Amino acid sequence: MKKILLTILLTVILCSAWYLTASADDSQGKKLYNGWCAQCHGYDGDAKSYTDKFSMPKPRDFTMGTYKFRSTPSGEPPTDSDITKIVRNGNPGTSMPPWTRFTDDEIKAIVAHVKTFAPDIFKDAGKPITIGTPPKASADLIKKGKELFNKAKCVECHGKEGRGNGEKGWQDNFKNDWGDPITPANYTHPWELRNGSNVEDIFRTISVGLGGTPMTSYIDSLKDEDRWALAVFIKSLQQERKLGVAIKIKKTAAIPTKVDDPAWDKVESMDLPMGGQLMFEPRDFTTLITNVRVRGLYTDKELAVMVEWSDKKPNNGSDGKPADAVWIQFPEKVSETVEKPYFFMGDKKHPVYLWSWKASDAGKVTEQLAKSYENVEDLQKHDVTVIAGYNDGLYRVVYKRALKTGSKDDFEVVPGKFVPFSIAAFDGQNDESGIKCAVSAWYYLMLEPATPLRVYVFPPLVALFVFFGGLSLSRSLKSKK
Amino acid sequence: MMKIYPIIAAIGLLITVISVLKKSPFFNFIGLLTLIYGLLKSVGIITAPFPAQVMTMYMCMSVFSLFIYFSIQESTFDALLEPMRAVLADDNKRILRVLIVFIALPLFAGYLTFDKVKPNYEPPVSARIVHPEPVSSIEFRGKPITIIGLENPLRKDAPNMAKNLEAGKKIYYQNCFYCHGDDLDGRGHLALGFNPVPPPFRGTDTIAQLPESFVFWRIAKGWRGLPAGSTPWNSAMPSFEDFLTEDEIWQVTLFIYEATGNKPRS
Repeated sequence: MKKILLTILLTVILCSAWYLTASADDSQGKKLYNGWCAQCHGYDGDAKSYTDKFSMPKPRDFTMGTYKFRSTPSGEPPTDSDITKIVRNGNPGTSMPPWTRFTDDEIKAIVAHVKTFAPDIFKDAGKPITIGTPPKASADLIKKGKELFNKAKCVECHGKEGRGNGEKGWQDNFKNDWGDPITPANYTHPWELRNGSNVEDIFRTISVGLGGTPMTSYIDSLKDEDRWALAVFIKSLQQERKLGVAIKIKKTAAIPTKVDDPAWDKVESMDLPMGGQLMFEPRDFTTLITNVRVRGLYTDKELAVMVEWSDKKPNNGSDGKPADAVWIQFPEKVSETVEKPYFFMGDKKHPVYLWSWKASDAGKVTEQLAKSYENVEDLQKHDVTVIAGYNDGLYRVVYKRALKTGSKDDFEVVPGKFVPFSIAAFDGQNDESGIKCAVSAWYYLMLEPATPLRVYVFPPLVALFVFFGGLSLSRSLKSKK
Repeated sequence: MMKIYPIIAAIGLLITVISVLKKSPFFNFIGLLTLIYGLLKSVGIITAPFPAQVMTMYMCMSVFSLFIYFSIQESTFDALLEPMRAVLADDNKRILRVLIVFIALPLFAGYLTFDKVKPNYEPPVSARIVHPEPVSSIEFRGKPITIIGLENPLRKDAPNMAKNLEAGKKIYYQNCFYCHGDDLDGRGHLALGFNPVPPPFRGTDTIAQLPESFVFWRIAKGWRGLPAGSTPWNSAMPSFEDFLTEDEIWQVTLFIYEATGNKPRS
């Protein structure tokens, strides 16, 4: 009897101790969550929050218990380490940053609290799939992956070049479980792949799918080796983001006449990370054009600048949405002084030229002079020409202009001189028009002059001089001996 | 990369010590020069490194001084020059002569010349004043406000502190976080698009060194209020008087200090 009582007593004490510590953990988790997560995910975990209209994609609603990024099979809840990984590393390309401020214990408490928003889902723990070791990438494997990419119909959503521009992605029912329109991933931008850009990450995504989205699990329909081949192929589509402050433009005999001329692919490029136009109403907090790539070529007479960006759905203005557009902006006076026009559309004292292009009038460029966003004037001149094209999710717009136009109100492009430029880009699908757009900071372009003769002449001369100096010194010393 | 320089200095010291023991002024000279070079370059680990021109000047001075030092006694000077003479003239040093005098030295001189004459295109750099001198007064939506000595009126309102902080939080996450960061660390998801990148509030470098009146002025006026030295033309900081009321600016100021554990400088 005593023994039984003692056992009961012990059990009660242990249970209440467990309960107390567990709830203590939970209250710490709640405090941290309310302090640092609720602004986006909502105090009740339902993503009805301060930032819901200011984030794209929207913050996760935890109350449904549906998680996009898991290591567990479709239908199972994510593991604690899946959620921990997201808190720790963030989701690239979204407003979820890597949280470095928390200790491991704090993240544990936060994860415990996040799970309380959908307690039923987490009753049984999920079991992660085995990832194994990735095979070595080879041309054959990439080829096999490419075939599977078509055969398994990945191409229908993700597009031929993997820019997320497939036809199916634009059907009306292409939505996530929360009812929001969603777009397939763009593999060419590895820096913003939410679920990670390693070949293992891609394999995991293909295997278990992304919860609550049209991206389903392929673990049953494709063999391990096929999923690896797919992952290796997709990895091969990723492009490096080359950031910098200035792009050097090389001289060529003739500028390619088509936007998809393979010669363009060999030209060195620079990537411009894009911000939103946040300074003047209407502001753009949720830009979709996150990167613009710039490159150029020049001849004795002419300069060509290509602006290139990913757009999953082209809009030429005929579908009720604004037309896609881009402009490149130069200071009216290209001077070497540090003072520049305001980086978005200039200011009264320092106007800027805009070379504006719109998909609704794709063969034309409008030359404008802006003294601020409220003061833009169309110039009645046509010194700039443009060729533009949209191919497999990629816009390419090539501006061409004579180095010297002859018109006195135009800046001259001189080799060796740095010319400031900046870019604004509009995605019609995202309702961007007017001054609601993605913007870049000021960058420079410079036409690289031919290598001066002195580089070929002086170094060998000096080397010869030193050689003969040594020779004569050696001779005279020898003869003295 | 910087860590290599103390090692170079140590090697120089080693050569110096051995050469003193072996009584070789030539290697003593080389050792001391290496030691000086290593030490001067190591400065860069602790503070700003010397510019290349200053480095060249110091090294020339060192060579010159060492020559004077070694030429005080004629015997030492002879011993210093002896290895050079030997390489130039001795019959048994032929291979060394060809390698050093006829190949390495001309190539090195040619390379130095190439480095000097090759065109080097660098974009213009603009120095930027991070903390400009604050203005004494501003006009906020037409109403004059004295900035010097201005304090956050909400700090005295203890009963409404929690309410004001929560309001500030909401304002921050609807107007600031995409640049200045979810964690107020300056790494918002749009931050990379701008130059200069938005400053962090966390840490002791920014708002911790500023009175709240400065922060109020920066939020209210944004890029438009910056003096030329702070390159206003590059700044994406909006003039928040266009979007927020005076009270709202004080609320968000309250929040960014509270959330980063910083205190305004008084």
